[in-house]
Amino acid sequence: MSIIQVEGLKYKYPNTDKLALNDVSFEVKEGEFIGLVGRNKAGKSTLCFALAGLVPHFFSGGYGGKVIVNGLEVRHHEVGEISTHVGLVFENPFSQMTGSKTNVFEEIAFGLENIGLERKQIIERVNTSLELLDITALKDKNPFDLSGGQMQRVAIASVIAMRPKILILDEPTSQLDPQGSEEVFRVVENLSKEGMTIIMAEHKIDKVAHYADRILLMDDAKMIDFDVPEKVFSRDDLQEHGIEPPVVTRIAKALGIRKQGSDDYPVTIKGFTQEIGDKL
Amino acid sequence: MSNRSMWSLKLSTAAIALIPAAIGINYLGKLVAGLLKLPLWLDSIGTVLSAMLAGPIIGALSGIINNIIYGVTADPISTVYAITSGVIGLIVGVMAYKGWLKNFKTVIVVGLVVGLAAAVISTPLNLIFWGGQTGNVWGDAFYAFLVSNDVPVWLASFGDSVIVDVPDKLATVIVSYLIFKGLPNNFISIFQGQDKIEEL
Amino acid sequence: MSTMTLYADRDSVIHNHVSPLTKVLYVVVSIAITYIYPDLLFVLLVTIFSGMILTLGKVFRRILPILAISIILIISIVIVQGFFNPENQTELFSIGFLTFYKEGISYAALLTLRVFNMIMAFGVLILTTKHDELVEAFIRKGLSPKIGYVLLSVLQLIPQMRATMGKIADAQASRGMETKGNLSVRMKAFFPLIGPVVLNSLNSTRERAIALEVRGFNTGIKKTFLNAAKEYHHQGFIQLILWLVLLGTIVWRILI
Repeated sequence: MSIIQVEGLKYKYPNTDKLALNDVSFEVKEGEFIGLVGRNKAGKSTLCFALAGLVPHFFSGGYGGKVIVNGLEVRHHEVGEISTHVGLVFENPFSQMTGSKTNVFEEIAFGLENIGLERKQIIERVNTSLELLDITALKDKNPFDLSGGQMQRVAIASVIAMRPKILILDEPTSQLDPQGSEEVFRVVENLSKEGMTIIMAEHKIDKVAHYADRILLMDDAKMIDFDVPEKVFSRDDLQEHGIEPPVVTRIAKALGIRKQGSDDYPVTIKGFTQEIGDKL
Repeated sequence: MSNRSMWSLKLSTAAIALIPAAIGINYLGKLVAGLLKLPLWLDSIGTVLSAMLAGPIIGALSGIINNIIYGVTADPISTVYAITSGVIGLIVGVMAYKGWLKNFKTVIVVGLVVGLAAAVISTPLNLIFWGGQTGNVWGDAFYAFLVSNDVPVWLASFGDSVIVDVPDKLATVIVSYLIFKGLPNNFISIFQGQDKIEEL
Repeated sequence: MSTMTLYADRDSVIHNHVSPLTKVLYVVVSIAITYIYPDLLFVLLVTIFSGMILTLGKVFRRILPILAISIILIISIVIVQGFFNPENQTELFSIGFLTFYKEGISYAALLTLRVFNMIMAFGVLILTTKHDELVEAFIRKGLSPKIGYVLLSVLQLIPQMRATMGKIADAQASRGMETKGNLSVRMKAFFPLIGPVVLNSLNSTRERAIALEVRGFNTGIKKTFLNAAKEYHHQGFIQLILWLVLLGTIVWRILI
């Protein structure tokens, strides 16, 4: 049983003529880590919004097809309800802080107050989230006094506290410095190991190649490919879709080092050394 | 324009989140006008802009909450004028919805209407709370001039308010309109919260 | 990042044993009675009482800068009423050719005391109450949590926008923008200063709305609270007294 089912999804923003999502269909199994790649304006963010129900409920506009997450058809449920099944984190850590809370503990509790949990449960869940994201030491700080990386981890902790099965991250590191990015990648990897289903749109291709089980490649509102990283990043037309293959893949290509028994090139250092080891 | 009633109380989250931003913009307008020593307050640009973007209810809420917040954080006296600010947001919201933001000429009408309305609402408040004055030097000098020429107090007080409010609100509405015109189109639809989802 | 607040953290009876809603009622009643019963001595007593409560709350000195803000209004009241009040008959004193009248001055004194009391009564609330406790108290009494959110977030948003503003002002100044000179030069500087902050804040508004949505802001479920409500005693009794004072003043006004 797939945890995410997308069937013939079409969408256009209000007051526009062009489709932002054009007939997108795919399925994701529970616990998978999906890397979402494509050039700017390819439709990645819109797809993320569609999985969290913001498309169509928040943005309105034109909508067709079906998105089913954890058994809920998004079209017929409110974003608030979907938020306990699907968590969404996006680029700007700053605008993800509610602004109404003066410390990290209360900031993370915000969503739990909204869904009407008992006080005891709120405290328990906030503590768990703080530990999972390794930010317990920050709990009494004002969210706006944190660094970008710390703030982004608070944003992740805030949606994780809602106990979603699926976590969607829309370019969560694009506004962070290298250290902040590393912090975020590390916690996302941990959450993936905990069994959470993860969809991450990301420009840092080497990172995506390293973490993702499968890659969803988008261009011009359409899904171009959805396969294991080796297959997608070995495509000859990858650059035409605005994507540079991972460094490792480019080196392997230049050296003609393919995965054994296939036409695909390795995409991670580990995969690469394995092939070289076999060759030597 | 929105295809739903401007009086709908089912406010979208985007519209709610617009209120704090509007109040922040009010504050900045006042700050910058002070910084540049402009002879105007320009302290309701956010209220007017929020009313243009999200309608009369959000406009009115922005105005009222603005003065309450300003009252509890800086100057309690401004709380008295919460009603005036609320009415400013309300009027701009209604006139925007009725198509009065068509061109520069109609916008000037909106500015004048808002200025006069502000004066009409403020006058009884000024009379009740401080004997008819506004605390603005030019306005109060005019008030003193009128009263010493045997004009009734209420009319003098109204004159005081008109001299203070009309130029300020006119400038505020024009500035807000210029900002509003510069916003991208898809931006505006989010705040107007269209309910209808078209089937594809 | 600072939060915009006048709250002064003290260990006092007013801080610890008077609930936020009781203080709100105090603000309303003490301002209302000074307008219901327009007697100089009475208003003076109410003002002194507000001052005593501020002293009890160990925040009296904090009210002085807030009183200072209204100084222009007060000077204007004294001068204009002193000279020009239509009731003026009895000459009080003259400075050169200017003559102050008794009627105007006593009316000005009444208005001034009312303004002082209004500010001091507000002070009782805002100097001794944490803003989040105040807002939560209102939400528990039925205020929409959404409005509660707006009130709390403004207090943090404004200092942030002020900081952004400062950066933009520096940047524009270093690019040679004129902020001094004649009126038209200064007016031209208005847009480049405020425009970027306005656009930036409207953009964050959209993103913040998304963040709020995915955190259950719009569910319609009855909200719960992380912080337990602080317990206060005898509030019903204090509030009853306040209501009686209000009622008493109205009756007194009608009878006399």
